[in-house]
Amino acid sequence: MHAPEIERIIAFIGAIVVATAALTSLRAEWKKTHLDDQVTKIMLVLLTVGCVLVILVTLHVLGRVPGES
Amino acid sequence: MASHAIAMDDLQYKEVAGQRLLGFLFFLISDCVIFGSFIFVYLYDRHASPVWPPAGAERPDVYLAAVNSIVLFGSGATMHYAMEAIRHANTRRFTAFTVATIILGLMFLSGQAYEYTHLHDTWAGNLFGASFFTLTGMHGFHVFVGVIFLITVLIQTLRGTYTPHRHFGLTAATLYWHFVDVIWVALFFLFYVY
Repeated sequence: MHAPEIERIIAFIGAIVVATAALTSLRAEWKKTHLDDQVTKIMLVLLTVGCVLVILVTLHVLGRVPGES
Repeated sequence: MASHAIAMDDLQYKEVAGQRLLGFLFFLISDCVIFGSFIFVYLYDRHASPVWPPAGAERPDVYLAAVNSIVLFGSGATMHYAMEAIRHANTRRFTAFTVATIILGLMFLSGQAYEYTHLHDTWAGNLFGASFFTLTGMHGFHVFVGVIFLITVLIQTLRGTYTPHRHFGLTAATLYWHFVDVIWVALFFLFYVY
């Protein structure tokens, strides 16, 4: 297996793990109303968006496959 | 009388912490504006250029960046767990998650250094290289500052500076680290996906 393929698999698995952790934390934070909790919620949502982005890249839905021009 | 004095102190601390939080959020917003300005310049250059990336420019490896991104996003999750641990007065758990965050932050910086040394583009080479090194370098500097910030709050916590009810420094460190994560989401999209 080539290095890019290994990187792709690691990124895919890592993204699912981190997205799950972020969504679980978001669920736990959901009812908190303090200002820093609200900011944390926004940050966790954006973190999940980042993970989805990585999943889409590893599934070749977004971005360019290395080696392609 | 003594309990009343403590209650007043807590109330004052809460008020001061609220003001400091607002100030810190303004700092993060101003940092967002700085990144936003550079991102605007990048998008302007990109759309003004007939071919992108410009001739001779090399696109960085998207899978290496994806792994590096997950390392940084993972550090955001560990930092969140660290913050929750201090709220539950669990210093041991806090220490473990903060150390994990610091290690992941250093891993991200190492990944970035590896990418820099293996990329054929240079800062002075073309518009893509200039934008890439300026924005990712500025972000890398923020991660470096974040690691120093985390080491500082970790030492302070081990010295007993923070309690479950008085931990503004930790709140600020957590928000800063989340901010650094979120900025990377935008940079990852711009340089590796878009």
